Amino acid sequence: MARYVLNRLVVSALVLLGISAVVFFMLHLVSDSPGRIVLGQRVSPEAVAAFDHQHGFDRPVVVQYLDYLERLLHGDLGRSYKLNENVSTLIAQNAGRSAMLSLAGLVVALAVAVPLGILQAVRRNGLIDRTATAVSYMLYATPSFLLGLALIAVFSQQLELFPAEASQSHSPWAVLTDPRAMALPVITLAAGSVAVFAQYQRSSALDQLGQDYIRVARAKGLPERLVLTRHLLRNACMPLITLVGTLVPTLLAGNVIVESLFNYPGLGLLFLNSLQREDYPLLLAYTLMGGLLTVVGNLLADVLVAAADRRIEVRR
Amino acid sequence: MDSRKNLTVHGLSVEIRRGDRLVRPVADVTFELGRGETLGIVGETGSGKSMTGLAVMGMLPAGGRVTGGSIELGGRDLLTADPRRYRGREIAMVFQDSLTSLNPTKRIVDQVAEPVRLHRGASRRAARDRAREMLARVGVRRDGYPHQLSGGQRQRVMIAMALVCEPEVVIADEPTTALDVTVQAEILDLLDELRAQRGLSMILITHDMGVIAQRADRVAVMYAGRLAESAPTAEIFERTRHRYTRALLSSIPTLAQDRGEELFSIPGSPPDLARPEPGCPFAPRCDAASDRCRAELPPFTGTFACWHPVDGPVASADRGRFQRGETGETLLRVVDLVREHPTGRRTVKAVSGISFEVAAGETFGLVGESGCGKSSLGRLLVGLDRPDRGEIVFAGERVTRPRRAVQMMFQDSGAALDPRMRIGRILREPLAIHDVGDRRERVRRLLDDVGLPESVLDRYPYELSGGQRQRVGLARALALDPRVLVADEPVSALDVSIRSQVLNLMRRVQAERGLSAVVISHDLAVVRYLADRVGVMYLGKLVETGTTEEVFGAPAHPYTAGLLAAVPEGGRTGTPVRGEPPSPVDPPSGCRFRTRCALATDKCAQVEPPMTSLTGGHQVACHYPLQEGRDG
Amino acid sequence: MRRHPLALAGGLLLLVIVGFCVLGPLLHPTNQTDVDVVNAALPPGGGHPLGTDTNGFDVLGRLMAGGRVSLQISLLAAVVATTIGTLYGAVAGLAGGVVDGVMMRLVDVMLSIPFLFFVLILSARFHADAVSLSLVIGGFSWLLSARLVRGEVLTLRVREYVLAAKVMGASRRRVVLTHLIPNALGVIIVNATFQVADAIIVVSALGFLGFGLTYPAADWGSQLASGVTYISADYWWLVLPVGACIVLTVLALNLLADALRDTIGRPTSARS
Repeated sequence: MARYVLNRLVVSALVLLGISAVVFFMLHLVSDSPGRIVLGQRVSPEAVAAFDHQHGFDRPVVVQYLDYLERLLHGDLGRSYKLNENVSTLIAQNAGRSAMLSLAGLVVALAVAVPLGILQAVRRNGLIDRTATAVSYMLYATPSFLLGLALIAVFSQQLELFPAEASQSHSPWAVLTDPRAMALPVITLAAGSVAVFAQYQRSSALDQLGQDYIRVARAKGLPERLVLTRHLLRNACMPLITLVGTLVPTLLAGNVIVESLFNYPGLGLLFLNSLQREDYPLLLAYTLMGGLLTVVGNLLADVLVAAADRRIEVRR
Repeated sequence: MDSRKNLTVHGLSVEIRRGDRLVRPVADVTFELGRGETLGIVGETGSGKSMTGLAVMGMLPAGGRVTGGSIELGGRDLLTADPRRYRGREIAMVFQDSLTSLNPTKRIVDQVAEPVRLHRGASRRAARDRAREMLARVGVRRDGYPHQLSGGQRQRVMIAMALVCEPEVVIADEPTTALDVTVQAEILDLLDELRAQRGLSMILITHDMGVIAQRADRVAVMYAGRLAESAPTAEIFERTRHRYTRALLSSIPTLAQDRGEELFSIPGSPPDLARPEPGCPFAPRCDAASDRCRAELPPFTGTFACWHPVDGPVASADRGRFQRGETGETLLRVVDLVREHPTGRRTVKAVSGISFEVAAGETFGLVGESGCGKSSLGRLLVGLDRPDRGEIVFAGERVTRPRRAVQMMFQDSGAALDPRMRIGRILREPLAIHDVGDRRERVRRLLDDVGLPESVLDRYPYELSGGQRQRVGLARALALDPRVLVADEPVSALDVSIRSQVLNLMRRVQAERGLSAVVISHDLAVVRYLADRVGVMYLGKLVETGTTEEVFGAPAHPYTAGLLAAVPEGGRTGTPVRGEPPSPVDPPSGCRFRTRCALATDKCAQVEPPMTSLTGGHQVACHYPLQEGRDG
Repeated sequence: MRRHPLALAGGLLLLVIVGFCVLGPLLHPTNQTDVDVVNAALPPGGGHPLGTDTNGFDVLGRLMAGGRVSLQISLLAAVVATTIGTLYGAVAGLAGGVVDGVMMRLVDVMLSIPFLFFVLILSARFHADAVSLSLVIGGFSWLLSARLVRGEVLTLRVREYVLAAKVMGASRRRVVLTHLIPNALGVIIVNATFQVADAIIVVSALGFLGFGLTYPAADWGSQLASGVTYISADYWWLVLPVGACIVLTVLALNLLADALRDTIGRPTSARS
C-alpha cells in the first residue's frame, strides 16, 4: 500500500509539473505584454518595453517559466496586475467560501445520488427508476445557470422562500449560519452532479448485483437490506469515487457559473472579474490551482479505492 | 411422511417471466433426499438443474416464481416459509467458483463469520473464532482477501461458508466445474468427508457424469426442465432406461473406451424452453421417437419418463469406426522452445524448453492443467507469438509469423467470430486474404464438410448455437487447406451432447484430409480420443510423451499417473496429484513437479531430470519413472 | 432501433429540431438583420407568435436562425474532437509500449487542466466567431475520445477474432480496416453524439458568462444570455423558448446516444 501511494505521488508530481508548463506557455501565447495590460492602451510602446524590461517580462519564455516555478515553490504566486495585492492573498481571501460551496454541493450530490442510484438498480425498471432516470436526463440537459434561474424564479420570486443572492459574508464560517441564503446555490450546484452521479451509481450497482458474491450473500440467508449495505454498497461506490476524482475540473467550472449567478464572492467570481481586467497572474494562478485540485482529487480517489479494494495494488 | 426423508420435492414447476418472454425452466420435478444421502442432478445447460437448486433455496431470479408442486424439509413446507429462516441455516449452497464468488473487499474470515453472527447471534469475536476453526477444517490457513487465493482455495472458503452453521442439506451447484481435475478431486473429497462426518445430505448439481458416478448415491437426469430419469447411481449406469440418458452416456469420451470407435452423437440441440412443443422434449433428437412421442408427454413413472425405454448402453455394433490414418514424414518440429512473458516486475515462464515433432497426418495432443503454458505454446505454433529461444520448423522452414499451412481453431467461437460479420463473410475472409478465387463455391463445400446448412451464410454469429459456431470455426480453419490444424480446447465451451458431434467431425475431417493436428486440452479423455501421440505439460515443460496407448495405458511420470487418477471415472485407482501447481513466475528448482510428487528426493530438487527414452517413442523426464525402460 | 423506444423518441425529436431550424424560415420568414426599436420586446401575439426581443427581432425566427448556428458550432466541435481523438487514441493503442505511455500521460496532463477556464480566457481575449469557437471547444474535448478509442483498440486487438484473422495471414492494414474500425465505430459514434450535446451546453454557458458569441451572431447561448438580463422584467418569452430549445436538443442527443450505445455496443444482446 505504502509503495502504491508513493508511486502515485511521484506520478502526480510529474503531472503537476506538466500542467504548470502547459498552462504557463498557453497563457503566455495568448496574452498581451504585461506592460501593455498594466499601463493601459494610451502609454507609448517605449514605456511598455521599459516596464517589461524592468520586470523581466522580455526574457525568453522558458526562463520566465523557470523563474515562475521557483517563486511558486516559495509560495509566491506573483502580484495582480490590477488589484494592488499579492495573488496568494487574493486567493486565500476567497478560497474558503468557494471551498465551502463546492464541498456542500458535492456532499449534497453524493448524499442524494448514492442511495438513489442503488435504489434504482435494485428496483430496476420500476416506477422510481424510470422517474429518476427521466429526471436525470432532464437535469443533465439543462445548463446549470438556466436551472439556477428557474430556481430563483420559483423559490425566490414566486414563493419568496429563499433569497436570490447568496450569502455575502466574508467569513466562510458565517456562511454556515445563513443556510437559507446558501440553499439555492448549493442545490443548483448539486443538481447537475446528481444527474451524472446517480446514473453512474445505478449502472455500477447493476454491475455488482450481477456478481456471484451477491448471490452467495443471499444464500447465506442475509436479508436483502444487509446484502445491500454490507456487500453491495462498498463495491458499488468504487467507480463513483474514481469518477468524482476525474470530474474536479467540471465541478470547478460549475462553481464559476453558480458564483456568478448568485453573486457569491468566491474564487469563481474573482476569476471572472480577472478575465475582464486581463489580470493574467490571477488567471494563471487559478487555472493552476484547478489543475492542482484535479490531481489531488484523482490521487485521493485512487488511494481511497486502493485502500478499500486490495486488488488494485496487485493489478498495477 | 418417512422421517428419514430429509428433503422432498414434489411436482415442482418454475416459470420465469422477462418482458414478454415466458420460460418454464423447471417442470414437474420430483425427488427425495434421504438423510446423509447424496443426490446427483445431472443435465446440460438449460436443463433446469441449477434452477431446481435455486428454487429449493427460495432464490429464483427476478421474474421467477414457483407455479406448482411442493418443497418440504423434514415435513415443513418451505414454499410458504420465509426463505431467510432456513437459507444458510438449514440449507446451504455452494456455487461454481468464479473470480467474483467472494466479496473482493471483505476479509475472508469475516465473510465466513457472517452467517454465524446472523443465524446464531454470535458476537463478532466468537463468530471469527468459529470461522477460523471452519477455515482450518477445510484447509485454508491464511487470512486475507479473496484475490490472494487460488481457485481451489476460494472454493474451500465457499464450502466453509456454507457449512459453518451446520446445515442439514447442502446444495452444491457445479462446485468443481471451473477447477483443474486434480483440484476437483480434492474439493469433492473434502465435500464427501464433511458430509459423512456431519451426516449432511447433499444435492450435487453437475453436467459431469463422471463426478456423478463417483460421488452420488442416487441420480436424477434432467432434460429441458423435466426429469428424464431418476434412480440409484449403479442402476442408471447399468440399466439405463431413458433414451436421452443412454445417448448422453454413450456420447461422453472416456479413458476406457475403444479409440477407434466413433462417439455416439445426439443430433440437433436442446429445445427452446420459451416455445414448448407437445410430447416428449427429447423426441426431435431421439432415434426411436414415434408419433406418440411427438404428441404425448411421457409421464414420469418414478424412475423414468419415456415411451420407449431401453436396457443398458448403446451396443458397439451401432457405432461407426474410424480408419486408422496413415502417418508420414515429420511435418512440424518444435525445438527447445522458450517463451517468457514479462508482467510488471515479474516474468511468467510460460514455455521453458519444449521439443516435440508431429508427423504428416498425425494428431499430437497436449494435456496439462491451467497455467501450464499449453495455450502459450499453441500461439507460438501458429506464429501469433514469437519464441524467446528455440525454433518451430514446418516442412523444413522456420515459423516466425502466421502461415497459410498452419491454421488454428479457437476455444470459444463466440469470441473468435467477428460479431459484425455474417457467417458467409467470415468464411470467405481467409480466401479473400490469400486471394483465392471461386470463393462462393469453396465456402459451400466447406459448409458441406462440417455439416452446416447453406442458410447459415446470411446469419450473424450470435444467431447460431454453440455447436454451430464451433463448426464454423472449424470450417474457417480448413478454408485455406492447411496441413496442420492447431486446436486450443476445441470443445471445452460446449455441452456434452454437442461435444461428441464436434469431436467426431474433427476426427472425420482430419482423416479425410490427411491433416496433422495439435490438440491442446485440459480434458484427458478428449485428448485421448483425438490424439495419436500425447505430450503431458507441467509448468512450461513436457514431462512425458509417447503414443496415446503408452501414455494413458502405462504412464511413466508420477504427474501423468496422478492426473489420470484424478479423473472422476468409476473404477480407476491410484493416488491423484495433491495440491495446486506453484506459480510459473518462480518455478521450483530441479524437477518442477517435485513439490507435489510423493517420490521426490533431494536429487529431484537439485538436478533437472532430462527427457529419456523408455520404449520406442515413449519418453519421460523423471529420475524415478514408474515404467522400466527396456533399453535402460 | 425497434427495441428502443427512447432512441426513436430521441431521433425523432432531433429530426424535428433540425427541421425547425432549417425548414422553419420557409414557413415563417422573418427579418433578422435590421434592428426595429419601435417593435422591441413585444409580448407574443399578432405577427410574432413568440414576441420580439429587445432589438425588435422576431423571437421565433431568431430561434430558428440561432439553432442553425448552435448546431453548426457543436457539430463542428464534435467532428474536430472525434477526429483528433480517434486518430490519437488509435495511434497510441496500436503502437503500444513507450509511445502509448508518453501519449497517454500527455492526455492525463491535459485532462487535469480545467478546460472551461481556458476557453473562457481565449474567448475573453479574442472575440470569438462561430468557427473559432467550435475549433477551441473541439480542440479541448478530444481528450476523452482519445482515451476511449485507445481503450477500445486495446481490447479489440486481443479479441480472438482479430487473432484468428492474423493466423489466416491478414495484413495489419486489413485487420485495422475490417475488424478494428467497424467494431470500434459504434463507440466512436456514440461518443461523438454525446460531444455534440456537451458542446451545446458549453456554448450556452459561455454565453451566460458573457464570453460567448457577440452581436450580431445569434446562437441559442447568446440569446439565452441576453434574455436572462431581462428576466426580472418579466420578459419570459426571451428566456423560456430558447431555454426549452437547448434542453430539448441536448436531451434528444443524449437519448439517442444512450440508445445507440445499447444497440450497436453489443450486437449479441439481441438474444439475451
